[in-house]
Amino acid sequence: MPRIKLEQLGLYLPLLPTTTVGSLPKPDYLLTARAQYARGAMEYAKLKELEEQATRFWIEKQDEIGLDVLVDGEMYRGDMVAYFAETMKGFQTGKLVRSYGNRYYRKPVIAGAVEWCNPITLDWWRYAQSLTQKPVKGMLTGPYTVMDWSFNEYYANRREAAVAIAREIRKEVEALVDAGAKIIQIDEPAISTRVDELDLAREVMEMVTDGIAAYFICHICYGDFLPVYRHMLSLSVDNLDLETCRRTHILEDYIASNRFDKDISYGVVDVHSHKIESEQTIEASIRHALTLFDKESIWIGPDCGLKTRNSEESIAKLTNIVKAVSNIRREI
Amino acid sequence: MRLIAASTGSFPRIGDGSQEQQLRKALASLDRQEIDLSGLKAVEEEVTREAIALQAVAGVDLLTDGHIRWHDAVSHVMGKLQGVQVGPLSRFFDTNTYYRQPIVQEKIVWQRPLVLDEFLFAQRNAPKPVKPVLTGPCTLARLSVNQAYGNTDELMEAIGIVIAEEVKALAEAGAAVIQIDEPSLLQNPQDIARLRPLLEAANRCKGTSELALYTYFGDAAPVCDELQQLPVDILGLDFTYSTNLVEILTGSGIGKKLGLGLVDGRNTRMETEADIFPVLEALSALPGVDDCYLNPSCGLEYLPKERAVAKLKNMVGLRDKFIGGKHA
Repeated sequence: MPRIKLEQLGLYLPLLPTTTVGSLPKPDYLLTARAQYARGAMEYAKLKELEEQATRFWIEKQDEIGLDVLVDGEMYRGDMVAYFAETMKGFQTGKLVRSYGNRYYRKPVIAGAVEWCNPITLDWWRYAQSLTQKPVKGMLTGPYTVMDWSFNEYYANRREAAVAIAREIRKEVEALVDAGAKIIQIDEPAISTRVDELDLAREVMEMVTDGIAAYFICHICYGDFLPVYRHMLSLSVDNLDLETCRRTHILEDYIASNRFDKDISYGVVDVHSHKIESEQTIEASIRHALTLFDKESIWIGPDCGLKTRNSEESIAKLTNIVKAVSNIRREI
Repeated sequence: MRLIAASTGSFPRIGDGSQEQQLRKALASLDRQEIDLSGLKAVEEEVTREAIALQAVAGVDLLTDGHIRWHDAVSHVMGKLQGVQVGPLSRFFDTNTYYRQPIVQEKIVWQRPLVLDEFLFAQRNAPKPVKPVLTGPCTLARLSVNQAYGNTDELMEAIGIVIAEEVKALAEAGAAVIQIDEPSLLQNPQDIARLRPLLEAANRCKGTSELALYTYFGDAAPVCDELQQLPVDILGLDFTYSTNLVEILTGSGIGKKLGLGLVDGRNTRMETEADIFPVLEALSALPGVDDCYLNPSCGLEYLPKERAVAKLKNMVGLRDKFIGGKHA
């Protein structure tokens, strides 16, 4: 069914469309520039020029590698929640909290009524799409995750905060679709963490996507999928992009008895490992996916955003994905 | 009711100021091989001393070492056991933080103290009593990949033996309170019965120390009575997930000392009298309520450092006001 929807949107993708989850590594010159900008030692116009340069590099590289559906690579973003918080009214920039290991991020604070004032990602999507004939995904962080990964000092409870954020994020989706985006990815990694709030997560996703003519993907990662499996299937999106590389086995039994009735973006390389998965390893993963899901419904990509890897590793992983998919396409 | 201000566990490792980033810089330097492990240890000790001092200055009575050296609450303990390989990242409950998932490849063997050395260091450097914290066998087993035992129960039992040994070492080293954290109990209430014999074993090892069981990251109300039946001296409860925990407690009575997790360790909003005093009033009115601990709902590493310090100061201030006011 979702493939029909894609075609209705004018998108004729090959079997096993290849894509990435969103972020790609920032080149050193951009990391340096971002640090200079943060210190006030660089004008935004210069930073933006370099962000565009890096975006251009990654669009050209994804085209060259042969991926089917591209991303802008998020050269302009730091953290996936903080970026949206910084550009919507009601949020304050937070202070540093740890994510894992030695990684920290600025967790935003909801300090007032959340309000979408201007398009957030639209110009970047337009720029990236202008550089390629292939479809570029619109990339957003979902309302449940924005709520969950922010401190809430304003709304009475989590539900009120999530509903308010959903109302505003829908405006960004509408802006992207009005501009011509046909595939919108909404990242909701927090959705798998609280079974007691799955109804809320589903409600706010519906607020964002309901009635909008686009193919919606929801990326969920690094959670315990089993308790939320059935609920994930009821999200109002067409495709679930899951971090499956290391743990398909967890879902196998469940999939056998509870049909997976959406498209799936199936993660075949580990973004937290320096090791470059071989074509053969990736082919084995894809063959395994073909035993679990309808071939018409499978997309192939990494487990998560590749910003944790360097450029060489990312390019090598993506190249092997495309080669492996190409080999498998000849078999099916 | 005597109210003791306590820390619950972790403390932020870095702050926003350039002078507060030394641990982050040291770990990056270690990655680049610019310093060795002894260089990292020196920084970890310095940051641990600071975490202890900040808790003490805030007025907290029972401190922790802040878990500054811990990568996470799971691999820090399991990674020290023979038979365990530390594996890939996985999300830690409903937080936006991650732990390295232990892969139990062979029957586990205790090789070296789990947190004893850290406790001894902290106690030497603290002006007040320090509470060592261990992640408990149910949580450790639930968050590990089990390739060596027939089932999860057997893995829990094996980890329980190791934890009991560590409790013994900590008790002999003079810990007045030893805390075992079991957040997974609230997602897996069937484990409460399995935990009982493991806590009984730990109890036999604790000497004159008090054993505390802390649960968090979930609503304890549905299992509160069962938790109160467990053989521990102190039961730590997270009040931030529940709408009726106070009613449950006041309805069924309190059979042991409680760790009152009334200060939200996951949100920057500062608690007010209106948030905390009604609960304290309701509990202190109950007959037989002994000492209670007022503490954050969980470790404070989920907050920015300045807010973690402010929360502790605010908690102590509210405690003092409650005791000193009409509520005395």
